[in-house]
Amino acid sequence: MSYEVMVGNKATAVGCKLARVKVAAVFPITPQTTITEYLSEIHASGDLPNFEFINAEGELSSQVIAQAAEATGARSFTCTSGPGLLYMHHPMQETASKRLPLVMAVVHRGVKSMQPDHSDLMSQQWQGWLHLYVENAQEILDTTIMAYKIAEDKRIRLPVAMGYDGYVLSYTAEPVEIPAQEDVDKFLPPYKPMPGIFPVSDKDDKWRDFEANPKTFGAGWGEGDPMKPWQMHNEAALNGETVIKEVFAEWGKKFGRTYGNGMIEQYRVEGADCVITAMGTIAGTAMAAIDKLWADGKKVGLVKIRSFLPFPRSDFQAIAKNVKAIGVFDRSCQPGMWGPVYHQMRSTLYDEAKKTPVIGFIGGLSGKEVRVADMYKIGEKTLKVAQGGKPEAPIQWV
Amino acid sequence: MDEMVLVPGSTCQGCGAAMAARLTFKVLGPNLIRHGIPCCPDHVSKHPRAGSVFEAGGSSLTGTSRALKALGRTDIKAVAFYGDGGTYDIGFQALSAAAERNENILVITKDNEAYMNTGGQRSGGTPKYAETTTNPVGPKSRGKGEPKKNIPMIFAAHYVPYIATASVAFPEDLMQKVKYAKDIEGFRMILIQAPCPVGWRFDPAKTIELARAGVQAGVWPLYEIEHGTSFKLNYKPKELKPVSEYLKPQSRFRHMTEAEVNEVQGNVTTNWARLLKADEMKTVVL
Amino acid sequence: MHGRGGQGAVTASRIIATAAYEEGKYSQAIPMYGTERRGAPLTAYVRIDDVRVRERELVHTPGISLCFDPLLSLQQAVANDLLPNGQVLLNAPFAPDKSELAGNINIATVDATSIALETLGRPITNTAMLGAFAKATGVVKLESIEKAIKKYFPGRLGDMNIAAVRKSYEKVSPWVPAKNKVAPKMQVDLNVGGYGTLKDVSSWRVFYPVVNEEKCIGCKTCWIFCPEAALEWKANNKPAMVDRACKGCGVCANECPVKAIEMKRVEI
Repeated sequence: MSYEVMVGNKATAVGCKLARVKVAAVFPITPQTTITEYLSEIHASGDLPNFEFINAEGELSSQVIAQAAEATGARSFTCTSGPGLLYMHHPMQETASKRLPLVMAVVHRGVKSMQPDHSDLMSQQWQGWLHLYVENAQEILDTTIMAYKIAEDKRIRLPVAMGYDGYVLSYTAEPVEIPAQEDVDKFLPPYKPMPGIFPVSDKDDKWRDFEANPKTFGAGWGEGDPMKPWQMHNEAALNGETVIKEVFAEWGKKFGRTYGNGMIEQYRVEGADCVITAMGTIAGTAMAAIDKLWADGKKVGLVKIRSFLPFPRSDFQAIAKNVKAIGVFDRSCQPGMWGPVYHQMRSTLYDEAKKTPVIGFIGGLSGKEVRVADMYKIGEKTLKVAQGGKPEAPIQWV
Repeated sequence: MDEMVLVPGSTCQGCGAAMAARLTFKVLGPNLIRHGIPCCPDHVSKHPRAGSVFEAGGSSLTGTSRALKALGRTDIKAVAFYGDGGTYDIGFQALSAAAERNENILVITKDNEAYMNTGGQRSGGTPKYAETTTNPVGPKSRGKGEPKKNIPMIFAAHYVPYIATASVAFPEDLMQKVKYAKDIEGFRMILIQAPCPVGWRFDPAKTIELARAGVQAGVWPLYEIEHGTSFKLNYKPKELKPVSEYLKPQSRFRHMTEAEVNEVQGNVTTNWARLLKADEMKTVVL
Repeated sequence: MHGRGGQGAVTASRIIATAAYEEGKYSQAIPMYGTERRGAPLTAYVRIDDVRVRERELVHTPGISLCFDPLLSLQQAVANDLLPNGQVLLNAPFAPDKSELAGNINIATVDATSIALETLGRPITNTAMLGAFAKATGVVKLESIEKAIKKYFPGRLGDMNIAAVRKSYEKVSPWVPAKNKVAPKMQVDLNVGGYGTLKDVSSWRVFYPVVNEEKCIGCKTCWIFCPEAALEWKANNKPAMVDRACKGCGVCANECPVKAIEMKRVEI
């Protein structure tokens, strides 16, 4: 195993190389741009055999190129940021509806500013993808590889978006351990397209017998119950809870690095009176605040949410049994409806016999820095509710 | 050559685009992945149909072509069967980019000169004065006010290996062009004028007759451009037939005055002289 | 209302809805079709009531069913799921008792295709059914239908269509009543969508090509120009129609250099 001090965006590119991505279609946008540059370097070096690298003319096209390449049978990759993600909106839905296990890195950039928040990826909740949020460069590299294994699992067959914060992570350098290629190859087998749908999957070229087995790929005028594909899609996304945990457990066993159970990562939750939640880089900042809170005798734990879609329902239902309040931190806001994580949390716990108060915090929008002191305050406020106090408001701006 | 189209087809009676598909895929044979976008008709051939969003036909074709290369399956061709909306308008950006990257793809555009899949609305491929469902003729409208976009020349200006125009009324010429384009490496586009009896409003029996009249009048000239420079006019009658013979059977043009027909005639005549000149010089300046 | 793309069933549904409103009733005309394809089967629905119609479910159990197309597959479909004592008005060139449905259902017929060809010159049967509808069902008056038609077809086209309406008003057959109260359900395999693989389009035809083999010189022009691969080349070097694939467009007859192909009206 080797290591390198690298920025988050390079960790993504190295992850792609280790996953033996065959087709990458990209378009530059700050703060994602350097992924495209690192990938072009990999292509130019010839280190990754049979690697096709395409400079698309926009994100709509980079998504479609990667989607079609995946459909044709090649493991593919694309990446984007903020406005670029919004520009992909239409084909993203197709990638998921066609059940293609594409992996995309989303380097968070807010929709109101060039600075990061989670409003870009949160705005794509209905697209049918799995959404993972990661915290540091090592986690980016590891998750890129794991994302393919999750996406390509028969129970899932859905695209995965891996979100991480722009600048503070995408452009920040830190030491990253690089697993050996042969170990990654053992972990992630070559991509096997679904037979019957993917045209070039059969070596005997049975796919050409269209009349015996008509396949259209895209046009949504199929026969049968029109709701069936929705039910199957929903079920596959929910399967994520099981598959993500399995894949992360296997990674931990093989590479010695774990990220909680894959769905969530708990920090000093044991014995805590209440917990706060955070996603992405904020979780790292929150850990520092948690240490301070405990040092001050305030028993507040942290749950880092790694998977927003599917939402870690069973994990939070279990955690809620043992704590007296949950403070949810949202790094995005849907005007008129507040934060999406807050709503997911309350819906998750609604049917539980024991009512655990859930209060919301919205912060870090448009790149506003979230400091340790901010997370400390959130911990304190949540603890106050856990001790029977009333929150100043159900949802508060940080 | 086997028939590669689905029999029976799902198109309207006398569909020019169905005819274009039949001739094209007969030549191309079975070894391809056909990309479609929402267009009329889309579900035409026995090949596996891939495809994506309307606005990015050039990109989805790129994805398949590159994946085939990465997988070492260059024996399979990536071929598109798109309409004029997906070529001239909403799909233009992605196709232009694919041409600029000189992707190894073959684009067959059947040009029925409007959005026929949705009921015949105006597209960038609709000719001047044509009445469409979004260009109704009225006191303040004479049908479409602008000329048809010169899309073959625009794509030729990407300096791609092969651009050609073809007509369903000239099947030998069309099939020869498809055959030639099939094995060229790089971006190839063949634009086939495909009369639409419903949208152009004429008797479906006249589909071929009308396509022929269009070529004979010089409204739809047949030519090839290689690498954006070398030019060849494939059909050169001694004398062009009057455009009125092409316009008259189509109800979409029935409101046209004599002056308007003369204007169209004038434009066609001027353009034809330019094409003859280019043919003589064997080159176009783009 | 069962028809095919291009026959005007959707327009007919709107004309009936308009005519009903002219008579002080509320109405609703719902079209149901996939992509626009001339010749493909489609259905349209009309509801008429004394109060504003707010229910938007398709009409699954109609009281009256109209079939704009003379071919059997649609005739069978129209008879299904009718209300007790439901009525079926068929476009057919024969008397109601000649229909397979006779006895099972209240049935009347009118030769709307012939009326349309006579008055409009094209087999667009919608208005040629509407006069028959007014006369046979009495749901709306002839004058109201004519008023509504003028709204949809101004000028000469309106006059031609009104001529079609009047003719069908005169020519519609009397009802042949049902013997049973509820009609037996029939199996029909309709492929309505514009996408997907079709099995048989023989019912799309109004005209079909007949080859005069003595005149035919075996040049293959018709075979080359058939847009649909719906002609086969026989061993005797002559073309023949592929029954399930020909939609009757007439390109072959039009292109034949020796006029050896004639388009004949499909006989029912």
